[in-house]
Amino acid sequence: MPSRSELDLLYQIGSQLAPAIHQAQNWPYDVPHAQYEASLWPPHDVGGQPDAPVRYEEKEEEQWELDTYVTCEVLGWKGVWNAEERRRRGNNDIGLSLYYDFPYYGRWVLCAARMLVDKNHVSLLELLEKIAEVKARYGKP
Amino acid sequence: MAQTHDHGDHSHPAAPMVEEISDFEILEIAVRELAIEKGLFTAEDHRKFTEWAEQIGPAGGSRLVAKAWTDPAFKARVLSDGVAACREIGIDWAEPTGQGTPSDYMELRVLEDTPTLHHVIVCTLCSCYPRPLLGHSPYWYRSPNYRRRLVRWPRQVLTEFGLVLPPEVEIRVEDSNQKCRFMVLPMRPAGTESWSEEQLAEIVTRDCMIGVALPRPDRKADDVRPVHKASRPVGGEHHEPGGSP
Repeated sequence: MPSRSELDLLYQIGSQLAPAIHQAQNWPYDVPHAQYEASLWPPHDVGGQPDAPVRYEEKEEEQWELDTYVTCEVLGWKGVWNAEERRRRGNNDIGLSLYYDFPYYGRWVLCAARMLVDKNHVSLLELLEKIAEVKARYGKP
Repeated sequence: MAQTHDHGDHSHPAAPMVEEISDFEILEIAVRELAIEKGLFTAEDHRKFTEWAEQIGPAGGSRLVAKAWTDPAFKARVLSDGVAACREIGIDWAEPTGQGTPSDYMELRVLEDTPTLHHVIVCTLCSCYPRPLLGHSPYWYRSPNYRRRLVRWPRQVLTEFGLVLPPEVEIRVEDSNQKCRFMVLPMRPAGTESWSEEQLAEIVTRDCMIGVALPRPDRKADDVRPVHKASRPVGGEHHEPGGSP
């Protein structure tokens, strides 16, 4: 359980991460049909969105990133999940804050963990215990 | 490396420098080990796929382009059926599972540049890339910035990569997707008329096949760009299931 001050910190950071929205969204009483459809099928491509020039740089790959790629692919190979579940739902349909705040493979590994629980391959408790066990194994507080 | 640090009135040796394992590393190990423990896949499956994933790279694409430059009949086959043409140079899109990877569907279209048309690829949805032929995509290719801007300001973005094209050259941006992968077949540069296939392949760099650079007789590597180093890069220290730090 996080402490009160830890929670405060999380909320403080989280409030700064929320992206700007272009239309006020505050639980409307009614939703026109077009908006209903649009809400169910949010666009996931970012082509044409405004952005400023940046310095394009090469990023050396972390071992965990390659391992994540392989784990997610092997789960697909063995039929544990399909592309729709992985890409559209798992990698993209996760809310903008998380989408932009995690590194590329961070999103992959998070959705793999969520999928194992969602599909009852492991219980949430098993996942949490495994994470705690791995943390302890590597001496992470 | 022995280190000391001060506590004002005294100092003592610090613990050995061990960079703390990250949350993502922990989650990755947890997911992999649970999947193996639950029988969703075996450690051998993971090893086999890793072996494949570690040997892919842009060299395959370079060979494809060099052969297409020197063999018009091969080029015609490249343009009509990219995946079949890849088999001729020893790249089988069916690897490593027999049915390809779950992500890289066995469909490749090669886009031929002409004196008046230049192609460049992007994936505005996520990060689709012809992995079996070019290896893993560079991080900037997956970045929201590249994906956002390339489709709207292609000429400007190419300039930022150091590629300035004359205004009479049309730029066509191909948006990759889940079911079809693209690669650029650049034009063979002047001054390479007597070159062998092997010599030609050396100047076809990854960036040339993405379309953010053009092959040049005097350049065998992509332009130097800043590199962000990994904390624990691929091939270094590896957290094996059940292993110790």
